Amino acid sequence: MGERTIDIRTVAVLALVGALVFAVPLLTADRYLLKVLTFVGINVIIITGMALLFGYAGQVSLGHAAFYGIGAYTSAYVVTSLGWPWLGGVALAVAVTSVGGLLLALPSLRLKGHYLAMATLGFGEIMRVVFVEARGITGGPDGFSGIPFASVGGLAIDSAGANYWLIWGVAAAMLALAANLVRSRAGRAMRALHGSELGALACGIDLTGLKVRVFVISAALAGLAGALYAHVVGFISPSTFSLHASVVLVAMAVLGGTRSLAGPVLAAALLTLIPFADAVIPGLSRSALETIQEWQEDIYGLTIIAVLLFVPGGVAGALRRLSRVGRRWG
Amino acid sequence: MTTTRWHFASVVTLVAAMAVVSLSACGAEDGPGDDGAAPAEPYRIGAVLSLSGTYAGLGEPEKNTIEMEVERINEAGGVNGRPIEVIIVDDATDAETAVAVTTRLIEQDEVIALIGATGTGATMAMRQEVDRAGIPQVSIAGGTVITADFHPLVFQTAWSNSLVVPFTLRYLEGKGVSKVAIIADSGGFGADGAAVIKDVIGTTSLELVAEEAFNPGDADMTGQLTKIKSSGAEAVLMWNAGREAATVAKNMAALDIGIPLIGSHGNARVEFIDGAGDAAEDFVFAAGKVLVPEAYAPGSDEQVVATDFIERYTERYGVAPDTFAGHAYDGLYLVVEAMKRLPEEFTAEELRDEIESTNGFVGIGGVFTFSPTDHNGLSDDDLVMYRVSGGVWTLEK
Repeated sequence: MGERTIDIRTVAVLALVGALVFAVPLLTADRYLLKVLTFVGINVIIITGMALLFGYAGQVSLGHAAFYGIGAYTSAYVVTSLGWPWLGGVALAVAVTSVGGLLLALPSLRLKGHYLAMATLGFGEIMRVVFVEARGITGGPDGFSGIPFASVGGLAIDSAGANYWLIWGVAAAMLALAANLVRSRAGRAMRALHGSELGALACGIDLTGLKVRVFVISAALAGLAGALYAHVVGFISPSTFSLHASVVLVAMAVLGGTRSLAGPVLAAALLTLIPFADAVIPGLSRSALETIQEWQEDIYGLTIIAVLLFVPGGVAGALRRLSRVGRRWG
Repeated sequence: MTTTRWHFASVVTLVAAMAVVSLSACGAEDGPGDDGAAPAEPYRIGAVLSLSGTYAGLGEPEKNTIEMEVERINEAGGVNGRPIEVIIVDDATDAETAVAVTTRLIEQDEVIALIGATGTGATMAMRQEVDRAGIPQVSIAGGTVITADFHPLVFQTAWSNSLVVPFTLRYLEGKGVSKVAIIADSGGFGADGAAVIKDVIGTTSLELVAEEAFNPGDADMTGQLTKIKSSGAEAVLMWNAGREAATVAKNMAALDIGIPLIGSHGNARVEFIDGAGDAAEDFVFAAGKVLVPEAYAPGSDEQVVATDFIERYTERYGVAPDTFAGHAYDGLYLVVEAMKRLPEEFTAEELRDEIESTNGFVGIGGVFTFSPTDHNGLSDDDLVMYRVSGGVWTLEK
């Protein structure tokens, strides 16, 4: 059985999970839960790109919150201030972040390892200043408010359930595209690159071209997520797109593990849900939730340290081990 | 590759498990009625405060104030014979979190009004939820945008820069100053203040001769101040709410510029005097009267209310309340007093209308009178100038 084929069991389970995820708004009217799960979906879209960049191609970016922000401000500005249709705003956001990713990738990706991380860190900081200073477009530190809901034609996507479907629909599509990509020739090349740059080069892989393409894809996904975020929340400000956000994204990717999409997706869901634990755990008391929120940063940090120490390979590694056990039983 | 396949299958199972857990969460939603047999259902109000993150230092006194005052209100029999319950949630000084917790307050706790948020960003982020739920929001943040970008449901208790800036400029005019320099931080409060100064300085006799900025967290402003020194300015106007203010004061003293430093209500914190030490001497700024209760007219309602609050707060928490505690006090009582004027059962719309009709409410930040076009409700009369003298605040005039 080759790598390209997916067996019937996987299809069945995927279909089941898909159906479950998409059934949530039919089963509950709790807008708080839907909102929180919508935020999870948005992070899943960004993390899909981060999983390709970090998990498959082995490149570390500390500037992806900047692309997230560029996407958000682009769509917010053209839709709210210039009256573009929502789809146009989102498309432009993806285009702008793709070009931005390309411009950053061309010089930076000649750098290796820590130097690339430093370059993206610098980019993130520059964009943070731009978000604050370009008041005419971004609204400055006060932020950009009054962004309308997504709408296609005359149909406004203005309920919590509809927004949930929109975000998870896009997330599912992006995950499917990414899953296809990693099974392709480009995916194998990325894995080779992650294993050994020299080795990959010796196999005739165009390293720079590959790195640039993966970087552009991850930037575009962050921009797409940003554009969707802007219309879901209706307000954006520079603090959402800070270095802190970039670090949390890297944390999700590290926690998720390499050579996997499912691992980072689960890690993103986990880290996004921690401060909103009461949405998913029935009967969690308010004081327990307050304790969790108070220790949120520490929980993030300790989780990552614990994963690095005890679960090498992150969530993905744990899943692989789990599946080995499962195979013995199956 | 079987590993890959199984790997996917197990992931999928986990996701499914997660989804099931989240779904069962909503089933448990409708059973909150088992906490004692309270004779009357409390009125529920939500408060979105920054208890962690950058503004944690502001959220803490706000939380203290609300807890203390809610106890007091309930001991005195509550509102319309019913107790009040203020559910305080933490927005972590983050817009997204503010939106999520606001949704929770509205959906799960079914609050009738919102107090907060602590910061301007979070306040603005909550607007979509407030708008949809149709319940009034009383923000305790200071950004001009909150009430300048007018929304019928949104009120504000902090003095906005559009009030404090003209007041401060008039003080400078009165002192015979003609050339001023601005130094402001690039963050929300400083940038907002600098923008308001530039907007209104044309209506005064003052001339702006230098404009410098610094970033939150900067540790040295000597470069900016050297430029100001050579600009011929006769006074330096500083707009900043962070601890960088102390650095500006110390750098100015070290450079021996020899012109006065004028600050804003953002500097009305003991930390500034502690941080700047001798350099804080003769620092002048505008703020509400709560810092020196003698600023209130003797025997006035304002003085009685403020002295009583300061005494009770100091006794309970061991420190005097700052201006942020005052904003929370005002936010809470603006809602509660409006509720008292209504019959026991009322709609969110009636509550909003009643808050808007607030006329002469005596709070800590000043005397509030709202109108359909003014949701800040304060006036120049609520501000005074202070001078730091001997390491403490004294009244300036």
